[in-house]
Amino acid sequence: MRSGELRKYGRVVAAAFEMSLRQMALDGFILFTVLVQPLIIALMALWMLRERGGDYAIFVVVGSGMTGLWSSLLFISGNSINWERWTGTLETLVGLPTPMPVIIFGKNLANVAQSLSSMMAGYFLAALLFGYPLRVEQPLLFLVSLAFTVVSFVSFGLIIAPVFVINPGVQGWQNAMEFPVYMLSGFLFPIALLPGWTTPLSYLLAPYWAARALHATSSGGATLAEVAFCWAMMLLFSLVYLFVSSRLFRLMIRKARADATLGMQ
Amino acid sequence: MRKLWLNLRLFLQGAILSYIALFRWLRPSAYLASKVFMPLNQILFFTFLGIYATGRDNASFYVIGNAVQMAAVSGIYGVTMSIGGDRWDGTLPYLFGTPANRMAMFLGRAFFHVLDGMLGVVLGLMWGVVLLGLDLSQTDPLALGLTVLLTTVSTSGLGLLMGCLSLITLNMMFVNNTVYFLLLVFCGANVPLAALPGWMRAVSRFLPLTRGIAAARQIIAGASLAEVAPLLAGELLIGLVYILLGYSLFRWFEFQAKRRGTLEAI
Repeated sequence: MRSGELRKYGRVVAAAFEMSLRQMALDGFILFTVLVQPLIIALMALWMLRERGGDYAIFVVVGSGMTGLWSSLLFISGNSINWERWTGTLETLVGLPTPMPVIIFGKNLANVAQSLSSMMAGYFLAALLFGYPLRVEQPLLFLVSLAFTVVSFVSFGLIIAPVFVINPGVQGWQNAMEFPVYMLSGFLFPIALLPGWTTPLSYLLAPYWAARALHATSSGGATLAEVAFCWAMMLLFSLVYLFVSSRLFRLMIRKARADATLGMQ
Repeated sequence: MRKLWLNLRLFLQGAILSYIALFRWLRPSAYLASKVFMPLNQILFFTFLGIYATGRDNASFYVIGNAVQMAAVSGIYGVTMSIGGDRWDGTLPYLFGTPANRMAMFLGRAFFHVLDGMLGVVLGLMWGVVLLGLDLSQTDPLALGLTVLLTTVSTSGLGLLMGCLSLITLNMMFVNNTVYFLLLVFCGANVPLAALPGWMRAVSRFLPLTRGIAAARQIIAGASLAEVAPLLAGELLIGLVYILLGYSLFRWFEFQAKRRGTLEAI
């Protein structure tokens, strides 16, 4: 890719990012997914894990924040193409010279960035309401982990969105997909509690490696090698997701053009 | 007698049609996802979280709490969408234009969701038995059945009240989702009521599910119907209060909408 082209795509990503943020800022469903639900989960988890002591507060803050990240990825990023279809702008976007995944990347980036506020809300809840002294033990490693998390979540979103368009039947399972990833990724409890056969499934999910890196760096005690391994896995999965999503986008657009179903609800 | 028969027919026809209308767009797989697997996953998530917090011995506390809370899936979402559906589908002016008995019409919107909600709770408990080792050997099935029925009715009462709110507000899904998740906190499904602050315990006394969940836990631990009767009476009373509040709001909304000419307003 030439640098001029890259700059052009960067401008599109920035425009899609800004537009999505503006659209999402006051949407009730998005506010619920990004803020209210993670806060209620944090509240419950803080009460439930109270007997384990203050050390668990930062674990809950990070874990509940990640539930917000996943839920918004599933419900908002997952519908990022369908949203254009519902508002009648999908045909225009497909007709643009800019590849569709670039636009969806910008939209997903805005969504994931906004979802990070759920972690901050959880932080304030635990600190102010419960009075827990909260400290991120390895702040630099935590921030780098957060950056890898954003990239891997955005890439994951690029798979979910075309799948929901290609097969609306899969989208019907959206509600049932929320909690399994909370569990398999170990957002709020270790995956060791789950039956052994589920462990390979966890390893295939970028959110699992994200949760592992963020929990380890926020609670402390992780070696650089351990965290770096999680970063490498997130990077690897991001590349796989990007590769698969590029094929899915191509299939989706070819199928929609062949069947003349692009604008169909 | 004829009037009673007409009202009964209106009740049943309204119940069937509103339920079919709500689920007409759902394929069996989507129904399975929303009403079978989503509840299962919620039960599993909170039970594993509870096991992590307090140990495997307390698993039944979380299984029962979350299984009974499944009444809210139908009671809150289903009933609210059935009432609100008349607004969104444009059938509200026709309904308010008929001389039909409003109470029969209003309660009919909840009827099938009560049955559906009961099925959801039973399924939740069955998941608990099969996957999480819930022990029902000490349980009086009749008492548990009555508890499930009354809890679903009272939760649907709250749904009827919220359904009326959906006739005057645009952001009902936000309210529905928030209430559904707050019930998880306030009703003792996952956090023992004794662990909540005083003001939250006070609020929980005015909510459906609180007494139903407590009664179900006691019955599964071996209590008799007589022992949980006060809890069940309280649950029923709360449900009736919500139904009456909802019905009053429904009539008030009809009066205001006709007076102001806003029946078609969305």
